[in-house]
Amino acid sequence: MDKPPHRLPVFLNLAQIRFPIGAIASIAHRVSGVLLFIALPVLAALLHASLRSEADFASVRGLLSSPLSLVVAGVLAWALAHHVLAGIRHLLMDVGIGSELERARASARLILVAAPALALLLLVWGLS
Amino acid sequence: MRLFTGQRAWVVQRLSALLLLVLILLAMLALPFASPLDFSAWRALAGGALGGPLIALLFGALCAHAWVGMRDIVLDYLQPRGLRLAVLGLITVVLLGVLARVLLSLAMVALAA
Repeated sequence: MDKPPHRLPVFLNLAQIRFPIGAIASIAHRVSGVLLFIALPVLAALLHASLRSEADFASVRGLLSSPLSLVVAGVLAWALAHHVLAGIRHLLMDVGIGSELERARASARLILVAAPALALLLLVWGLS
Repeated sequence: MRLFTGQRAWVVQRLSALLLLVLILLAMLALPFASPLDFSAWRALAGGALGGPLIALLFGALCAHAWVGMRDIVLDYLQPRGLRLAVLGLITVVLLGVLARVLLSLAMVALAA
């Protein structure tokens, strides 16, 4: 690795770096998308197993009701909720709704709060 | 694959997003009326004339959408050409594997019915 020609300013105090709220929503949109991508092969495998035989169907059902999968389901519920809400926000901006700075900030804040709440609702609904 | 690059990728991303949104809303509307599934009912649903194509459509849209999104992320964060190609190749293999697995499962059930 080449050394930089002169000293560059470095500011990496993570406690003090402030991201704009829109950037946080945007990064979360990407992170949640990657999480959902990782879940996709697992979902396909579960679908395959659940359709293969009576015994595999039962083991998929057993796997889904284990404590670990509750944690995974919680994370994925957040990922899905955030990704869908942030996606709707982008689609609305595509057609010119809410793309002004103040309203974009407000909607970013809204989805960051609404996604965990929606995830909790999904989880409770799934358990009942 | 010209279909999945440039401006068309953007269109694929938006169209698949809308399709997924519709499918999710349909599922949320239908689920409260669904009874708990046992194995044979689940197979009948997935092998049926409505359930099978809907599941195939869902995974098709998911894979197309995931391809565009993952590609955007790779192009943004991975600059070395070899690494980029390797990761894009891996993503392609994973997504094609998902599609193959889902379609084969659905075909097996439909043929057995």
